[in-house]
Amino acid sequence: MMSCDTFRNTFHAATEDPALLAHLRTCDRCLDFAANVDPDVMFRALGGEDLVPPGGVEAFVDDVMRQVRVRGAENVVTAPRPVSWTRRLAVAASFAVTVTAATFVYRSDVSKVTMAPIARAQIKAQTLTTKPIVETYESDKATIVEVPADPNDTVKIVMVFDENLPADL
Amino acid sequence: MKRFTTIVLTLLLVTVSVSAFADDAGDAGKSLSVRTFQFKFKKAENAAAVIKPMMSAEGSISIKASGNSLVVTDLPENMKKIAAALADFDKEAQPFRLSVRLVSAGRGADNEGRVPSELRDVAPKLAMLRFNVLDAIGNAEVMGKEGEPGQIDLNGYRADFKFGAYDPASDSINLVDFKLSRLEADQLAPMYKTTLNLKLGQTVVMGATRPQGNRALMIVFTAKR
Repeated sequence: MMSCDTFRNTFHAATEDPALLAHLRTCDRCLDFAANVDPDVMFRALGGEDLVPPGGVEAFVDDVMRQVRVRGAENVVTAPRPVSWTRRLAVAASFAVTVTAATFVYRSDVSKVTMAPIARAQIKAQTLTTKPIVETYESDKATIVEVPADPNDTVKIVMVFDENLPADL
Repeated sequence: MKRFTTIVLTLLLVTVSVSAFADDAGDAGKSLSVRTFQFKFKKAENAAAVIKPMMSAEGSISIKASGNSLVVTDLPENMKKIAAALADFDKEAQPFRLSVRLVSAGRGADNEGRVPSELRDVAPKLAMLRFNVLDAIGNAEVMGKEGEPGQIDLNGYRADFKFGAYDPASDSINLVDFKLSRLEADQLAPMYKTTLNLKLGQTVVMGATRPQGNRALMIVFTAKR
């Protein structure tokens, strides 16, 4: 059995020495040391002379590709099923019912709100309107002045200043 | 699958029905009713003026002068009130009493002021316009119904007019084409022509003067039922 000191003294990159490679399979510390010197040494230590897979490379590749196809088929089979058109229709119908119901409720509220102006209009109709005393006056040279007064005043005065009136009034 | 499809289609049909119902319900909230009103005693255009303040924002009025009728479009709730108001409006011509006083008014010095007893009710108001010398020319009372003509003779003056329509909105009667004339050398000389709105129970003084004039001819109106 080779000692670790002997191994480290004799080990070099690209070594094929069976005794050195055998030591690597039993000593992890020397494996770390050897990996720092030659990263490929680990694969040689595993007994890398038999790299051709059993049955040949082509059989191995065929096997790998078959595995890939099988995995692909599994993915297709296990993929989530798309939502059917009937289910989509059902969802759309439910959505439409919800929107319609909401619209119906909203419109009911709106129709209640629009009643307010009518109530105001009715109140307005009850109040008396005010008309001018002189609605028309047949002269284009007249000035009509309604003397301001309180709304509850029993006497109202309107003056007409008309150049066409006779001087001896 | 067929059963599921049938259920879905039924659901869709129900959805469409509900949607249509919702639309109808929404429209019903704003649906307008149309009604034609024909008048026996009053003019359609006067009736339109009466109901105009009562109309809602969605409402409209169309006057058909040929048939003396109104086509009113408004919300059903409002239509009831409009119909009631128009029924109340289209009544037989109402009688009114018109009191007219003719006054000659002038501006004088403080010590020249004079006011006849029958003009004391309007004298303070005329004094505000510095008319302190008042002379009563004459007075008269005339009765008449809406649409009827009237005539008043007052010591050398004549007034021709027509009782117009009563406006409940302003509680006033229209005195249409009030034409004042003065007798000069056995001939009536027209002075002015006007149309007035007289609020019932209110005394209205209409003064006519030349600009910068110190004299005025006042007519004191009082209209009552």
